[in-house]
Amino acid sequence: MSVSIVVPQLGESVAEGTVSKWLKAVGDRVRKEEPLVEIQTDKINVEIPSPAEGTLQQILVPEGTTVLVGTEIGVLANGGEATATARPAAAPGAATAAPAGAPAGGARAPAPPPAASERPALAAPAVPVPAGSGGDGETWLGESRNLSPAVRRLMREHQVGPEEIGRIRGSGVAGRVTRDDLMDYLKTRSAPARAGAAPPIPAAPAPPREAGPRPGFLTPSTGQAVAAGPREEVVPFTKVRKLIAENMVKSKHTAPHVTTFDEVDMTAVVELRKEWTPRLEPQGVKLTYMPFFIKASVFALREFPWVNGTVRGDSIVLRRYYNIGMAVGRDEKGLIVPNIKDCDRKNLVQIAAEVNDLAARARADRLRMEEIEGGTFSITNAGVFGATNSAPIINFPEVAILGVHKIVERPVIRGGQIVPRHMMNVALSFDHRVIDGELAVKFLRRVSELLERPELLWFYA
Amino acid sequence: MSGSDTPSPDVLTACGLGHTPYRDGLRLQEALVAARAAGETGDWLLFPDHPPVLTVGRSGSEASLRAEPRRLEQMGIELFQVARGGDVTWHGPGQLVGYTICELGRWGHDLHRFLRAIEEALVSTLEHFGIHGETVPGRTGVWVEGEKIASIGIAVRRWVSYHGFALNVAPDLGSFDLIHPCGLRGIRMTSLAVRLGSSAPSLAEARRTAAEETARRLGYVGVAWVGEAEPWRWVPELPGGREALRESSWDRGRSNDSADTVQIALAGGGVMNPAGRDRVAEVKEL
Repeated sequence: MSVSIVVPQLGESVAEGTVSKWLKAVGDRVRKEEPLVEIQTDKINVEIPSPAEGTLQQILVPEGTTVLVGTEIGVLANGGEATATARPAAAPGAATAAPAGAPAGGARAPAPPPAASERPALAAPAVPVPAGSGGDGETWLGESRNLSPAVRRLMREHQVGPEEIGRIRGSGVAGRVTRDDLMDYLKTRSAPARAGAAPPIPAAPAPPREAGPRPGFLTPSTGQAVAAGPREEVVPFTKVRKLIAENMVKSKHTAPHVTTFDEVDMTAVVELRKEWTPRLEPQGVKLTYMPFFIKASVFALREFPWVNGTVRGDSIVLRRYYNIGMAVGRDEKGLIVPNIKDCDRKNLVQIAAEVNDLAARARADRLRMEEIEGGTFSITNAGVFGATNSAPIINFPEVAILGVHKIVERPVIRGGQIVPRHMMNVALSFDHRVIDGELAVKFLRRVSELLERPELLWFYA
Repeated sequence: MSGSDTPSPDVLTACGLGHTPYRDGLRLQEALVAARAAGETGDWLLFPDHPPVLTVGRSGSEASLRAEPRRLEQMGIELFQVARGGDVTWHGPGQLVGYTICELGRWGHDLHRFLRAIEEALVSTLEHFGIHGETVPGRTGVWVEGEKIASIGIAVRRWVSYHGFALNVAPDLGSFDLIHPCGLRGIRMTSLAVRLGSSAPSLAEARRTAAEETARRLGYVGVAWVGEAEPWRWVPELPGGREALRESSWDRGRSNDSADTVQIALAGGGVMNPAGRDRVAEVKEL
């Protein structure tokens, strides 16, 4: 007989919890009321006692995963007999005990004699498999070496058998095969192995594959249908995510946003960068486009000081210093906008070096507080990911943000001729409380002109 | 909770533990949690004075440490992985650490309600000293103008809470540079001393107020202060560092029924315990 381990009610106001630590491993014996697993919600970590005496048979939800209250996170096999059968499951050799194609019951025949007749202990379909799939046939997935739901899903989708999993060298805790291990393995797996592994998959719900190869896009839906485990996953916001969310809402909520667009002929800057990149390389400076955007912005900001302002009460504070923020995307770590101080007093090479440094440290989480505070205007480059246009959100409490994008070689008309030019769309989102459309358009045009004709910086900057 | 020699669940027994190595504090808490769960004692609020230490809660990771482990070793700062909620934090001199050993039945076993009540108690404590503290949904702890002044991290075993809160009274805030407090990047810590300067309360004053506010917000009828040796009666085997206590109050504690503490506590009003002045130093009704 098996007993479900579920996330208990932790109070009316608590809807979900994170499995913070399994105190027992699969195969471990537990007494009733003995601490079994820890669940964390907010800043409280709760020890959950075992609901019964028995052996931890399966861990369905790994550490670090957030699930709703009431979710089954593990299975306990209780009764004295179960122990004997469950223990081999944790032993390294156990996975190979189920030969391909052998009947599920037969697979366990080599287990110690006292348990051999007590099959239900392991075969009890406590795994949350969707209705229709054979519970018996599924159990090997759970019992084999404590695999995560993600790994089990992949195994189903790619028909990886238990003996195959047994051959993979796991990089996880206690040699556990992780999702990455399995992905790597799948990349190198040969076709015959797949054929050999197929039989143990319960044929019930999945329509038998046709003999010939089918295009990949035809099959995934069947794989999904067989997948066990919850169809939704609760991923709590990280602290950074929460802060980003707060700031974005505050910005959109406080500053009425308007975005104006323009396009820039970047050919001159493209040429300049091409010429100067190898010259700056020996100095350890990687020249990107960002320093040009910063320089052009600073010059335009000096001409249109309100764009560099901030709202304080019923006033606008005009700032005669130019701390230009640059948005740095960091994948799942979340966006951050460090700023370069006093850009009006630095030359392009100095700015380029700082751009390199800030971007690198932003990605490595090595920014200092003052580097993300005190910005006066920001630039976001969605072009690095391929965007040709976008309307950014202002980095509040600044009042405007410049969006730069992918530079694309396009046919344009110059002097009646169709010529190829390096073109880029630019966008300026501004706080309409303080900046009117006229001012914004003029500012953006000035930035564009300075990028199109860098020599203007010579004459006016 | 049912035995006649059990303190009333309506009184919060408070105790300043004095100098307490973190390891000893853990042992004491575990012993009290077991005793509380078994109904052998009541609810406790303990105030240890920890030497500098870093503790990592269950959502913590090495990534939240800024200092190299070797440097910590050189500085003599120990690192503990503990079963409380939350990420990494620092404890040390100048900080008011409060362990809340509370049976959560009175909270309907609602963990978040309990957390919120502790936050409120800390906000009230700050208010008492003229500081406006705030709680921020999703960022448990207490904040003053965007800077963190108090952290909370709780563990629960058999529906009894332990660990608790840490209020920065006058610690060396530079110590937090060793870590990313609570796993938050770019977070700034503050303290009563930073906010109030020379008019900041002493650790003892803050302790008294925090105990009173905690009792009030958590719905106890009063705080019963006991001597620093008292809670150690519940530790089956005293840690070596408490050898001295073994001589004095440990034996005395054993010879006395715990009921006297309770009766006196309920009687209220600064009564001395006849068994020893450090047993019940003062009882205060709220």
